Order: sequence, then structure tokens, then C-alpha cells
Amino acid sequence: MRAAFAEARYGLRLRRRRSLLTALGIALAAAMLAASVVVSDSLGRGFDRAARAAGLPDVIVRFDPQPAALVSERIQALPDIATFSLRQEFTNVSVSANGEGSSQTSVEVVWPGRRGYAIVAGRDLSGAPGEVVVERGLAAAWGIRLDSVIQIAGLPPQRVVGFSEAPDNVSYPLAVPRIYVSQAGLAAGGQQLGQSVNLAQIWLRDPRHVDEVLVQARATSYGLRGLQFVTRSGVRVLLDQAAGIVIDLLVALSLIALGTAGVMLASSARAEVQRRLAAIGVRRAVGASRRHLVATQALEALLVAVPAATVGAVAGTLATYGPTSRLLMMLNEPPAGLGLVAPLLAAWLASAAIPALAVAWPAWRAAGRPPVSLLQGAELQRRRRGRPRLGAPRPGLALLGGRLAGARRARLAATVTALGFSTAFVLLMLALASALTALETDPGALGKRYQLTAALPASAVRQVEQIAGVQAAAPRYEDQAVDSFSLGETIDAIAYPGDHTIFEAPPLTAGSRLHGTREAEVGVGLADALGLAPGSTLAIELPSGTELRLRVSGIVSSLAHDGLVAYIPAGALLAADPYAPEELAVRVRPGANLTSVSNALGATAAPATTATGRGVPLVDVLRSILRAVAIVDGLVCVYALIQACALTVQERRRTVAVLRAFGAGAPAVRRLLAGAMLALVLPAAVVGILLERLVLGPALAGLAVNYATLSLSAGLPEIAAVLAGLAVAGAVAVFWVARQAMREGVLLGLGGT
Amino acid sequence: MPGCLPAGSGLTSSRSLPYSSVPVLQARGVTKTMGVGRAARRVLDDVSLDVEAGEVVAVLGRSGSGKSTLLHLLGALDRPDAGRIVLGGNELTAQRARTLARTRLRHVGFVFQSFHLIEELSGEENVLLPARLPGAARGGERRGRALIEELGLSEISDRRPHELSGGEQQRFAIARALVNDPELLLADEPTGNLDQENGAAVLALLRGLHERAVVLVTHEPDAAAIADRVLHLVDGQLAAVPHAHAHVRALKSA
Repeated sequence: MRAAFAEARYGLRLRRRRSLLTALGIALAAAMLAASVVVSDSLGRGFDRAARAAGLPDVIVRFDPQPAALVSERIQALPDIATFSLRQEFTNVSVSANGEGSSQTSVEVVWPGRRGYAIVAGRDLSGAPGEVVVERGLAAAWGIRLDSVIQIAGLPPQRVVGFSEAPDNVSYPLAVPRIYVSQAGLAAGGQQLGQSVNLAQIWLRDPRHVDEVLVQARATSYGLRGLQFVTRSGVRVLLDQAAGIVIDLLVALSLIALGTAGVMLASSARAEVQRRLAAIGVRRAVGASRRHLVATQALEALLVAVPAATVGAVAGTLATYGPTSRLLMMLNEPPAGLGLVAPLLAAWLASAAIPALAVAWPAWRAAGRPPVSLLQGAELQRRRRGRPRLGAPRPGLALLGGRLAGARRARLAATVTALGFSTAFVLLMLALASALTALETDPGALGKRYQLTAALPASAVRQVEQIAGVQAAAPRYEDQAVDSFSLGETIDAIAYPGDHTIFEAPPLTAGSRLHGTREAEVGVGLADALGLAPGSTLAIELPSGTELRLRVSGIVSSLAHDGLVAYIPAGALLAADPYAPEELAVRVRPGANLTSVSNALGATAAPATTATGRGVPLVDVLRSILRAVAIVDGLVCVYALIQACALTVQERRRTVAVLRAFGAGAPAVRRLLAGAMLALVLPAAVVGILLERLVLGPALAGLAVNYATLSLSAGLPEIAAVLAGLAVAGAVAVFWVARQAMREGVLLGLGGT
Repeated sequence: MPGCLPAGSGLTSSRSLPYSSVPVLQARGVTKTMGVGRAARRVLDDVSLDVEAGEVVAVLGRSGSGKSTLLHLLGALDRPDAGRIVLGGNELTAQRARTLARTRLRHVGFVFQSFHLIEELSGEENVLLPARLPGAARGGERRGRALIEELGLSEISDRRPHELSGGEQQRFAIARALVNDPELLLADEPTGNLDQENGAAVLALLRGLHERAVVLVTHEPDAAAIADRVLHLVDGQLAAVPHAHAHVRALKSA
């Protein structure tokens, strides 16, 4: 083994430049793998980690303020209760600290008992007066430190003693700021809050029985108004919907990157072994064992792979750990921390071991050949027989390059597949970026067909319709309803006095449009959360306190409010809540000037507002992550092209040398390589475009169906951009490899040594 | 089997160089050391050589005597450590790599012992390839087809190298070497991989190249027998062999 190690080190010194290219590929693959591990593991298990750390309750109940004793009595009557704690939640409180402020802060007065949040820095509330705990996201956003002073309206200055994390909601700035103070502390400070509470956290002995407990809770909740239940699983569903898309994308991308790098590294290893066949033959002839030869090759590969994989894994981890932790902080989830060590170690091991195995296998096969045949210049791969396939009458250099690339059919297929997948992925990222941009600027992406809203009464419809450029106008009612079963989230109840699809037509995924006066269309998010299907009954409670029961006619995919929407008849809504907020939705004629219509509306009455999809908080985060992913994917493409080009030269150095002996200069070598490149890039581009349009785009659109129907088929601009990118990457590869090839002596190539 | 072909065929140079005393190739004081450190060895030591148009010069020598090194220097594939080489009036020694490539393209043809035909191309495509390189003189393709015809390779011109015999491969290689109408043809052990019959045919072909300067290095007496002049490379020094044909006969009988 010592001899093999020494030989491997010598070989490495001898092939420094080639080893560097291999190391680059390994580092890139390891970086991609590590990045995927960090993001997937952090996001995929973030909620569980946060819930465990925070001791998240199984059920959170909100209700109108009630005496604590009454609430405790009702909860204690429920079956299977492990423990519970009470809070008084004050919303829309003005809070300021460190020059920042918000009038929408939620101040939670916590009563004794389990907290339901984790302290991630500092300490918890002690019950002493003047202490607060703030959410970590809020602290980071406002630059609050431990011992900072915070001003809460109605309270003396409070000192920050700890930072918290609770995954029952996303954090500031995605949600309103949240601050905790203790009831005992307020009482000790002389604050008179009374004995009322409006929030209870319940922990069950067996969380599997949550449904039965909720049924019991509803039955015993007489006298309690404004009741809303949030279950742990309900919170998880909402958070996972967003993270799921990112994780799926990253896992797919890491597989593609690994596949690409694997194919390239294996091909490179095979070419290297082919190049060393004569040397292997000599060693076999003088008595070296097959095992010794394989060990030498594998050790040499390991000497390159281990440091490269280490650098790549560290770089991938460092590049993604920070942004992922920031994303997790926004989701109120802790960073993965030491939990990442094991999967990262596995990724590092795979990154180092795969290249070594890729070398060991062809070396094992080569060393098994009779030494005589190796010395006589045997080929590792059997030479294909047959007539030239591309038998054009004028086989120029480019065509020859194409033939050289096509001579290794298996590798051509693998490289084209890998490049095709990468191309498809970049196309998908671009299509997704366009779709996400459209969500912010194009109301049509949300199924909205109106472009403007105006704070005008229903009676102004005729007047608005006479404005030049206006196609249609109608009153639009939107009420914040609640479901009283398990969701606990507010539901947007939207109503139009006629056919709502003229103004809003989110695509129907099941059932039919609403027709009757007692029917409703519900968003996929709502249907998922409540288990609704066409024919089910939707029961919602409106701010007026009236409960509305409607038959579900259809399910629609809507991005608005995470799909927690219901389209209901205006008559039914106004009968239940005559004071439902009203505005005028205005649909502009195609081609009409939106600004002039908006100005005309502004002159008529209230300023018009453009209908957009803003308010989808994770869209920005998703877009930045996907952009980074596309950049890494592009780098993988460039690496694959350079490596494929370099392999063609490496394997056909004698051909290149013969051409140079006959007077071929750098332009001729570049032309040859351009042909090889085209043989890879053209089919890869076709594969990529078809794959994106027929498979990946529709598949991802399916994943996002809970939010919206997104058109994720790449359009002409995206395709043109990707083709241009491929052309540039190919040109870079051709020039770089041709430059390297021209540096090698012609005689060296002719000798094949 | 082709032998001496008439002037004006593809095998004959179309250049207007007269068969004169102006040498196509001049080498003066060429020195080359191979290896480094203790392994360094001067394989060529102050070698001088003139080759005129229409002349066939054979360089004999034992394996490792530096014959191929000399050929590589004469063909601008390598640079000497000292001395100068002039080809067609152009000094090669100080030229840039790009210029040397252009010189090889237009003025030199190579024939290798192991043919070095490109496996992915047919015989004809191999022949025409140098004519399709950027910067190649016009008329190469026409000349290439004529060469294929004249060398009796038309019937097998669409076959790939592995479908050809050694002799056929070498004839295609010679056609490829001539396709750009070079003044100088350099052949490195052109019969080394051929049986006697095919070897004889290839030698006859080289002998029949009118108006071109041919330098062939070989250790085979048969190959040297076709030369106008035979030189012997010993200890890095090039020496003319007097009574060359008698010498060759002696070598053959030895």
C-alpha cells in the first residue's frame, strides 16, 4: 500500500493540470450536493425542529376575552388534555425600539404554565416587572439586542431579556411583530389587566386524538364567542406548502448536478486510464499485481477527490447556510445547526468516493487485460466497426469533431441527457421567475381579470363604465370570515352581484362554477385544510356573527391568501353581513391605457388601486433562492461542456496532433472542437426544451396548484436566452480547451505518451 | 500497383521549382539534445543537410540514433537547440508556432510509420482533410481525388482505416501527405509496419514522386535502396555513405 501511495503521489505531480480540472468538477458537484443538503434538510425538517424546541401546543384556541377561570374550567373538562396555558393577546399595539416601530404589534401577555415558544437567546420572562421577550425575527429586523429598551403603548419602558421562536406563525416582517410579557410581571408593575384571557394553548397526551378533542371542544364551547382553533398539523400544512416546492426543486437539481458531474468524472477517469494503458501494460509485464495497479489509480483519484470534495462541501455549506438560516428565521424556525453534520458528512463521503470508484473500475478492467495486448496499444473500449454514418461528401473539421464526439455513444447520450436536464432546469427557473414576476404585476396570473379597484359604491357602476377604456365594472365585496372547525385562519369571502368570472376566474380544478344562491367555490388551500370537495358544505362565520352554510360547487386554484378563499353569491353575503366591505372592480379593455383609466377614476372619485398579487410573502424569498439555483445550474452546464470538450481532446490527442502536423493551427482546432460541441449542445437543447415544456413545467405547475395556475412552459424569450447561454458556454469551452490543446507539443500527441 | 508515374500527375509537384541546384531544404549546424539532467543526450550534433527538388534522401541509423528527431526538425514539428533550417527559402528556426503550422500546411507532407489515419473518417476523407484546413492552398480537393485515382484507391476510398490493409492505409497516408502539393515529403519508417510486398509498393511510390524533395528515415536496407543519396546517422553526426547502393546491398546480405 505504501508503494501504491508513493506511486499515486508521483502520478498526481505529473498530471497537475488535468488533476486540477478533475478537482474543479468534484468541488462543483460537492458544493451542489452540500447546498442541496443544507437547504433541503433545513427547510424539510425545520418545522419539526422548531415545534420540538418550542414545545408547540397541539391546539391553539382564540376566542373573545373570557374570565380565565371559566376558560380553565372548560379546558379541564376536555378529554386527553396533558396541560394547557392561557394568554391575553392584544393586537394592533404601537411599539417602538431602536428607531423602528409598528402600530400593528401583537403583545402576548403570558400566564403561568408552558410557554409554547423557545428562547433562542437570553432568558425567559421571570415574572419581574419591566421584562419582555421579543421574536428573533423582529429583533434581527429592528436591530434589538438583549437589554435593549422597548416602548409599548400604555406600558412603561420594558427591557428585552430574551429572544423567542414559535413556529405557530411566520415571523416579522412576513407577519406582524410579536412580543411577550408576563402577566405576573405586569401585575407586579401595577398594571391592571383583569383576569380575562383570549387565547389558550393545549397540549394533548396523544396528539393523534386531536380531532376527537376538537369535536368535544366545540360541544363544550357554549358561551364562548369568536372561537378559532389552530392545530399543529394545520400550521404545518400551511408552512410546508411553500417550502415543499423549494425542496423538490433543489433535490431534483442536486440529482441533475450529481448525474452530470458523475458522467463527466467517470468519462474523464476512463479516458485517463485509456491514456495510461501502455504504462499499465508495462507494470503488469514487470509483475505488478492487478490489485496494486487499481489501488494506485484509486489512491491518486482520492488524493484529488478528498481535498476537492472538502473544499466544495465547505463552500456549498457556507454559501447556503446563511441565506437558509435567514429564511428559517422568517419562518420562525431554528437553523439546522449540528443536525446537518451527519448528512453533510454523507454528502462529502459520496463526493470523494464516487470519483475514486469511477477510476478504480476501468483500471480494474484494464489491468485484467493480457499485458501483451496492453503494450500493443489495446483500447479499453472496443472500437465500433462500420461505415461512417455522417458520410457527407465534404466532411469539414466541424463534422469530424461531431464524429469524434459521437464515437463514444454511451457518453454522448449521458452527456446530452445531463446537459438536456440542466438546460430544462435553467429554462424552468427562468419561466418560474417570469411567473413570479407576473404574480406581482399581472393580476391575470392570480385569476383576476380586473385591473383596477376604486373605493366607490355600487351605484357608481354606470358612471365608471362610461369612462373610455373601461370594459366592465362591478361592486366587489370581500369579507374576512372564519371557519369554526380546525383551521382557525381567516377566509377571504369574495362576492360579486353577477357572474364573478367576468372579474375573477381562478382556474377550476374540480366541480363547477357556482350558480345557485347557496353555492360557493372554494380555493384549493381551503379545500385541503377543511377536507372540502364538490358537494360538501362550507360553514363560515362572518364578522357580523352570522353563520353562512353553502354547498361547495367547485374547487379553484388561487394564490390569494394561500388559497384560503371562497367565492360566494353577493346576495347571500350581504344578507348575512350587510356591512361587508365594498369596492368597485374595474376591468379595462385590452390595449387601453391603464394609467389614463386610473387617472379618470381618480378624477371621478377615489384614487384607483392596481390589482396585484402583492402580499404573497414567500414569493420574494422563493424567487431569490430559485435565481441562485439557476446560477449554480448554469455553472454545472459550463463545467459539463468544458469537461466534454476536454475529454474529446484528451481521448483524441493523436488525431489533433496529426491535424497539427499537417498544418492545422488554433482556428482549425477550434473548428474541430466546435463540431464536437455542437454534437452535444444541439441535441441537449432540443431535449432540454422538450423536457421543460412537456414534463418539468407542467409538473412544477402541478406542485404550485395550491397557489395558482402558473404557466411554466418556457416562452421564446426564455428559450432564446438559454440557447444564447449555451452558445456562450460552448464558445468558452471551445476556446479554453483549444488553447490548452495547442500548448501540448505535436510530437507528444503523435507519440501518444 | 503504381510505380514511377509520369510527370504532370497528382504525384508530381505542380510548383514551378526547377530541378535545379537550389536546395528545397537546407539544414546547417543543427543540434538537438533530448532528456534533462543526467539523462540528457545530444542526439543531433552539428548536422548539416541539403535536399534538392526531385531528390530522394534516405537517412539510415539504428533505433534511437536520432533519425526521427532529425525528421521532426526538418518538418518544423520541433525546434533545434542550435543551427538553422531553411525550407523553400524560409528560415524556420526563428518563426512563431503559427507560422510553422502554416509552413507545414503548405510546404511539408508527412508519412508516418503507423499511418495515423483518423479512424472516424473514410480513406478519401482522410486524404482530403489537410486540403480543408483553414489556409490550405486552393485545388487541394481536386488534387486529392486525382491522387486517389492514380494510386488505385478509388474502389476502396469510402472504407474506414480498420477496413484497409496496411499497404492500402499507407497509400492513403501518402496521398494525404501530397494533397497540398508540398515541396518536401518526410517519411518516417514508411514501411516499418508493412509486409515485404506492400513495403515494396510503397517504396516504388515514393521513388516515383517527381520534382519533390523526399527525406525518408529508415533502418531497412530495402527502403534505402530507392534513394538517390544515403546518409548514415551515427552518434549524432550525419555522414554520407559512399557507394551507397553497394553499402545497401551489403546491409541486405548481412
